[in-house]
Amino acid sequence: MAANYWASTQRRHWLFTREKLAEVRDRLRDQDKASHSQFPLPDQRLLNIYFNQQLIKLGKRMSTRQQAIATAQVYLKRFYTKNEIRQTNPYLVLTTAFYLACKMEECPQHIRFVVGEARGLYPEFITPDVAKLGECEFALISEMSSQLIVHHPYRTLSELQTELALSSDEVALAWSVINDHYLTDLPLLHPPHIIAVMAIIVAVVFKPSHPGNFGNSAQSALAGVMRDGGGMGMLAALSDKSGSGPPRVQNLVQWLAESEVDIKAVIECTQELLSLYEVWEQYNEKHCKELIGRMVRTKNLDK
Amino acid sequence: MLQTEALESRRPAGYTTKVRVRDRYRIVGFISSGTYGRVYKATGQHGKEGVFAIKKFKPDKEGETIQYTGLSQSAIREMALCTELSHANVVQLEEIILEDKCIFMVFEYTEHDLLQIIHHHTQPQRHAIPASMIRSILFQLLNGLLYLHTNWVLHRDLKPANILVTSSGAIRIGDLGLARLFYKPLNSLFSGDKVVVTIWYRAPELLLGSRHYTPAVDMWAVGCIFAELLSLRPIFKGEEVKMDSKKTVPFQRNQMMKIVEILGLPRKETWPGLVAMPEYNQLQSLALHRQPAHFHRGHSLESWYQSCLKNGAYSSSSKAGSPGSDGFDLLSRMLEYDPTRRITAQEALEHPYFTNGGPISGDCFSGIEHKYPHRRVTQDDTDMRTGSLSGTKRSGLPDDSLLRAAKRLKE
Repeated sequence: MAANYWASTQRRHWLFTREKLAEVRDRLRDQDKASHSQFPLPDQRLLNIYFNQQLIKLGKRMSTRQQAIATAQVYLKRFYTKNEIRQTNPYLVLTTAFYLACKMEECPQHIRFVVGEARGLYPEFITPDVAKLGECEFALISEMSSQLIVHHPYRTLSELQTELALSSDEVALAWSVINDHYLTDLPLLHPPHIIAVMAIIVAVVFKPSHPGNFGNSAQSALAGVMRDGGGMGMLAALSDKSGSGPPRVQNLVQWLAESEVDIKAVIECTQELLSLYEVWEQYNEKHCKELIGRMVRTKNLDK
Repeated sequence: MLQTEALESRRPAGYTTKVRVRDRYRIVGFISSGTYGRVYKATGQHGKEGVFAIKKFKPDKEGETIQYTGLSQSAIREMALCTELSHANVVQLEEIILEDKCIFMVFEYTEHDLLQIIHHHTQPQRHAIPASMIRSILFQLLNGLLYLHTNWVLHRDLKPANILVTSSGAIRIGDLGLARLFYKPLNSLFSGDKVVVTIWYRAPELLLGSRHYTPAVDMWAVGCIFAELLSLRPIFKGEEVKMDSKKTVPFQRNQMMKIVEILGLPRKETWPGLVAMPEYNQLQSLALHRQPAHFHRGHSLESWYQSCLKNGAYSSSSKAGSPGSDGFDLLSRMLEYDPTRRITAQEALEHPYFTNGGPISGDCFSGIEHKYPHRRVTQDDTDMRTGSLSGTKRSGLPDDSLLRAAKRLKE
């Protein structure tokens, strides 16, 4: 439940192994091979970056908090494990995920307002009829079996903040890393506390030279350092219990060893983040927009 | 979105249910209605076993046709929480069906609720609910509430009608329509729903306009329920002041008075947070307008309790038994003014009222000879009107006229 991740529907129904997730997606693709070859879409992570930017745009105009955006991102991921994206209007789905997440995270927005805002951003793809969004809400809830409560790593981060004596810069960077992990499959693959620990480690090890505002994403602050061999160095530091490296990192390694956190999983998450930052360099908003737009228009998915 | 549908009709955002209510359930009668919609009694069919209560959320209408207008936040909360929760003392959700623009929440059927049980004990004349039964009810209720609170769920609408009782005497906390998570809410709990908890069960900090309230509001309501089980009347039966057209929340003067009449005025010496309450001035004006003697009777709750035991013929030698002095102590700790000092569900379960005096049955009817009447189920509306939105004449009637007819029949 809310406090108890272990008994949650998130753990019981929405945690996949990598193999299982690949299998689910292969099955969706096999059901609609024609669309797949006719409408190629960018790498899933690039699409996620694009969707995330859209959610942030929607959220900005309504001053929505990050946690609601994060919940909307998880809803999108869950929904697209059950539905082929090429049979949906992603703009409608993401607007609906946003609308539903705001209600669930107790910062509700009126449906007319959400539709109005979305129309302002995507006049071509969102009709003024609120019933469309209402209907899509039914589909979203139904596909998620009403399992709408999402556990986020932010909570673990704030709980560990004192225990690990994290500085405010470290917390801010870890927070941004958590924001970034929603751009990967990690929320479907690992429990939130693993993600939080990963984010803390990344923040402590790669404390950037220009502390301060990282904005929403840690990409600009971290992509360079992590790629320049730093990533591997960090992974080595984690596995090295003999106690080399700076004391701050040693303390963390010590804590990890005592806390029974799955270090292998943490390392895997770090690698995933690293590879996100690599792929990010190819990101081209216009390209994503064109491919999705062509798909939606050609298939009349917005009707 | 659904594969088959997208292929068949090329309506990609179209929603069709995979499960139809009528395929699985046969409606046998109408139970109750509220602002949210209506509750029906149903039996499983086509291989589905059991008896169920189906809560149908009222869809918004634009003229005659029902439109998708977005689900209410209360429906979303109840769906999400009930899906996530699982405890012997919390109502069990069977499934949720989204069909024809409506939500159907299918729950286990419960034969009784506390309101009905209390009512039964006033008919034809008052006869007290046995002390052992009250102890079992309260223990199970607190057990369920502890589960909710440890999972960061505030119920916020505990009252006898929402405490369900199965035919085998198990207590289930029901109606989570107002419940919500309280772990670091994005907005203050106050900003979402300004008025919470049926007025007679509303905690003093809510009446005084508290912005940040806690699980203690549920414990106050449990205290009120405990008192009502003993006396068969709401302990603080105030008159609600309706919200004005500006939607500002009025001070519930009468309700506050009812509490003060029994507990005395809250004092800043025993409730340090009192002076910071938004309605503190209102409380002072209320004190000024009353005879001072009225507030200084001292142990007023104790005298209320003693006369309640006397009226109910509760004594250790009587058939009803007695909740004794432990019962009073527990009640007074639940009805503690200061929410930070009010007893928690955990502490209450460890209170001598439960730890002394032998085992507590998980069946509140255990050792009780008499039978309670079954839940009233009316036959005037057994048509949930799924899938036949514009079919029969009846379905063309506005929902309200049916509702009024049902109410009349009930009375």
